[in-house]
Amino acid sequence: MGSAGSGGSGGSAASVKAIATYLPPWGAGTTRIAGPDEDAVTMAVAAGRRALAGAAAETVDEVVVVTRDFPLLEGGNAAAILAGLGLPLTVRLTEQLGGASATVDALVARHGSALVIGVDLAPAGAAAVVLGAADGPAAGPAAGPAVGPAGGSVRLSDHARLNRSMPIRTRSDDGDVHEYDDPRLLRDLGVGSTVARLHAASSAPPVAVAGVSARDARSLSGGAAPALPTTGASAPLFALAALLEAGQSGTLLALDQATASTVTVSSFPGDAGLVQRDEAAPRALPVRAESSAAEIKIALSAYDRAFPAKLGLAAGRCPCCGGLSFPVRYRCIDCGSELPKELTPLPRQATVYSAVTIHVPVPGLATPYSLALVELGTSGVRTLVHVTDAEPGAAQIGDRGTMVMRRVAVRSGVPDYGYAFQPQTTVEVGA
Amino acid sequence: MSSLRRVAVVGAGMTDFGEHFGLGIKDLLPMAVSETVRSVDKGFDRSAIEAAWFGELTSTDGFASGILADSCGLLDIPVTRIENACATGNDAVRNAFIAVAGGFYDVVLVVGADKVRETSARSTFWDWMGNTRDMAWDFPLGLVAPANFALHATRYLYESPATREHMAMVAVKNHNHGFTNPKAQLKVKITVEQVLAAPMVVEPFGLYDCTPQSDGAAAMLLVAEHLADRYTDRPVWIHGVGMGLDRVMHQHKADLTTFPATVKAAKAAYTMAGISPSDVDVAEVHDCFTAVELISYEDLGFCERFDAYKLVEAEATSVGGTLPVNPSGGLKSKGHPPGATGVAQCVELFEQLRDQATNQVDGARVGLAHNVGGPTAVSAITILGRHRPS
Repeated sequence: MGSAGSGGSGGSAASVKAIATYLPPWGAGTTRIAGPDEDAVTMAVAAGRRALAGAAAETVDEVVVVTRDFPLLEGGNAAAILAGLGLPLTVRLTEQLGGASATVDALVARHGSALVIGVDLAPAGAAAVVLGAADGPAAGPAAGPAVGPAGGSVRLSDHARLNRSMPIRTRSDDGDVHEYDDPRLLRDLGVGSTVARLHAASSAPPVAVAGVSARDARSLSGGAAPALPTTGASAPLFALAALLEAGQSGTLLALDQATASTVTVSSFPGDAGLVQRDEAAPRALPVRAESSAAEIKIALSAYDRAFPAKLGLAAGRCPCCGGLSFPVRYRCIDCGSELPKELTPLPRQATVYSAVTIHVPVPGLATPYSLALVELGTSGVRTLVHVTDAEPGAAQIGDRGTMVMRRVAVRSGVPDYGYAFQPQTTVEVGA
Repeated sequence: MSSLRRVAVVGAGMTDFGEHFGLGIKDLLPMAVSETVRSVDKGFDRSAIEAAWFGELTSTDGFASGILADSCGLLDIPVTRIENACATGNDAVRNAFIAVAGGFYDVVLVVGADKVRETSARSTFWDWMGNTRDMAWDFPLGLVAPANFALHATRYLYESPATREHMAMVAVKNHNHGFTNPKAQLKVKITVEQVLAAPMVVEPFGLYDCTPQSDGAAAMLLVAEHLADRYTDRPVWIHGVGMGLDRVMHQHKADLTTFPATVKAAKAAYTMAGISPSDVDVAEVHDCFTAVELISYEDLGFCERFDAYKLVEAEATSVGGTLPVNPSGGLKSKGHPPGATGVAQCVELFEQLRDQATNQVDGARVGLAHNVGGPTAVSAITILGRHRPS
């Protein structure tokens, strides 16, 4: 352990255009559990789509996803996330391996309009922020422009960072976790020393602390810090959302063990409108039985052909009759035209036409699980999908809900992303 | 069918249906073929067979046509494998019929078989699934076979007055019929209460709403009209055949309360036979799941749309009723080796129309055999008659 670097500060300021949070509906108390069809990619999409919808006027030039839980370490995360977000596959997406401090770093010194997403699997949660183009040095709260709630008046400035190493918890690339069982060592010698050096020149304690336990956050902030549902890459964005909702300004401190980043947040009471939360009350994850771990095969050629329509939830539109086909068909299901079909996004509001629940053991899948044949808006298109975020058997004919991107299966080691039906009763229908 | 030759069935036989762990496909095929040869009243020399059609859904122990020819001593004739999902059996009959009616051959063999229980009970699903589901869209969902039909049943129960009790009545009826069939796999009587209380497989199907997994083989000998007398004084005649298709994926089926494939196959078969549904005296209907038999009553024209429940309530489709369905026990009790199923239905009708059946329907003159599968995108139907077609 020891100092690996020292604090820096300054940099250009960024403004917050929208911020969105996502918590899986499963868990107890303050700890959320990712659903069986969720991973860092699907949770990044859940938060990211909502943030983009909240800043519809912004054209995002760049996406940064910060997590320590990327599912595809050999590549492929970016395309799945961009397709799920509905962004062009040409947008630059940075896969940033890191925790809370890395997310704070990602918030500052952006050159254009950016979407920054932080994702954690345990405890589970994701949050995303759309940042406006950097526009010069930060103005303090007193000098800040008094624009309306949707005007992006929130400023992020005065970034500082200090890299130190005190790995009391380690996780290797094969998932092995080791804990050095001495939390007080980290608190006093690790965090305490880092914070003291970063804030040597500052008199005020941070108003929010991300990356540590709720108890430590209160302690480091003099009791002011909001409680956060996660402790990793998404935590600073949950903290930012809380500060905006409270109209609170001050220093946001983000920690990864003994490494820290800080940023100054300048917000106004009206900024609460920039925040959208998708945080259903937690319920106990239904118990499901795993059968033998049979490998479900994948045909990567079929995966590739289906990818744009399957991850974008898009139908093929016939240039002759306008008929929609989903999955996309070579020959139009309505008029028989074989002209190339143009991908068209499908409505994400869905109504159950028929639904079944599988109770019998199925190798490689946990049972029970429900399938639903759902109608998408008024498009006339139906799709057969899993029912998600609901107890098995909950979805009935006529129920309404939303299509959400999920990991439909893991086949031969490949996360197979697609869409699932989320009944409306569990979560308010949103973007 | 004026331009076609009349075709007679002169022999029919089948193995027991069941979990034949001790028998492979190379055992089941010669067993069924030899029983069929022995069933010919005036004797039959298998060297008279000019061609064969073999319905097998899933290859076991090698490629289907070669296995049939090799295991049954039929190396000097052409053998064609038919695969049309769960409609394989009746479609094999249809193709063999076409060859004789069209004048290409005078004596042909049609065989159906499958050796399902060659994989573990649970892995069967994935072993078969790769060939039967869209690899990108449906395969990863875990759309197990009962779920395919349960999507239809759920919607059917929602739109029609039928209930799970009516589905249970189908199971009880077919188990009653199969109880006395020595070839049946599940020779056990059950009650409506037992059906409703059974463990859930895929809602709304409990265990007793579902066909078992079965091994087995069945066969028939078809001959041109002018040869029928040489083999028997009591031939059974093929009056009509039909096949129908539908959209394969559930996403693309407009109405899940009906199987359009069956409607099309039935129309073709009734038209060829020159009969209407009311002329059918006995039927073997594809009851892989109980609700499928109810829906099929309507698709086959045995009752009006959404009136199927009335037939089971009145016991009209029980032996002794006005239109007995599945006197053999059906797939539900007799068993369901997919390739064999349709052929075995015709074996039952062959016996019914010769007054030799275990659960004889008195005076039966016209019988109908029906398959639907793929999972619900293909149907094949055979209509047999006691009397020579006009």
